[in-house]
Amino acid sequence: MSFEEFQNCARLYVIGALEPEGLQDFEAARKQYGAAAEDFINQCYSLHEAFALSLKPAKASSAIKERLMAMVRERSQNQSGSAST
Amino acid sequence: MSSAADPELQGVPASDVEVAPTEKSFLRAVEAEPGKPTDVDLMMGIQAGDPDALSQLYDRYNGIVKALILRIVHNETEADDLLQEVFMEIWNQAKNFSAQKGKPLGWMVTLTRRRAIDALRKKQAYARAEERLQAEPEQQPLAWVQNTTAEDIRLGDTRALMAKVISSLPEAQQQVIELAFFQGMSQREIAANTNIPLGTVKTRLELGLKKIYDSLKELKDEL
Repeated sequence: MSFEEFQNCARLYVIGALEPEGLQDFEAARKQYGAAAEDFINQCYSLHEAFALSLKPAKASSAIKERLMAMVRERSQNQSGSAST
Repeated sequence: MSSAADPELQGVPASDVEVAPTEKSFLRAVEAEPGKPTDVDLMMGIQAGDPDALSQLYDRYNGIVKALILRIVHNETEADDLLQEVFMEIWNQAKNFSAQKGKPLGWMVTLTRRRAIDALRKKQAYARAEERLQAEPEQQPLAWVQNTTAEDIRLGDTRALMAKVISSLPEAQQQVIELAFFQGMSQREIAANTNIPLGTVKTRLELGLKKIYDSLKELKDEL
């Protein structure tokens, strides 16, 4: 697999669209190209951020945060309580 | 159910989440205002068990995270529930985040996408998604790029820039990327759902992703 072909596969890989039959060759090329391959895969994850940042932010109910923080604080207190006993 | 070789969705226990290594990301996340903690500062705070750090991270990103969830599950109530679950997971899994490996936003987006797609599959919402797809085949790609204006772009709004990059793709490429990224479909599932030959699906995905990737590289300095 050429590095250009590897790059195409890597972009599919990070969004989960690399088909199973292509995975073995991709992993072999990943080993073959070593650090350059890992570096490129890392860069490809920018695609995730791009897709998310392209969306118009959605408004969430304020109750969600209240519930979340109540759960977190309860968990924190339980953990600190069990740590002190 | 997707049969794709998904690095995120297959064979990775939720407890072993260590995702989105974006050390050399092209994008900057929502920048913290001067004097305010950076995203990494907040992640460090969460790792140290500080609820206020999570509260601030939530305030900064709940809109983006919910938009991503909503894009995947298409249901407001489910999206709110998942939003809470995702931030709870961020709290629980923060120990797996490493600033050396990537940025907090990338980590959160990958985690969010996985969680939302898992929920979509578990609730067997695929059938409903397919119905929606058939009912509004031309609305999906356009909804992706709504509200993008020249003024937004002049102001350097990251969202508008990202939307502009994506909207520059031919609709056929937007469609397959939409189905792969936001619906978690494999190439075969996309082919089956759209009646597009498998080879064409692959080509469109490769071309579309390459264009977005190359555009992000070009935007790197601007961002």
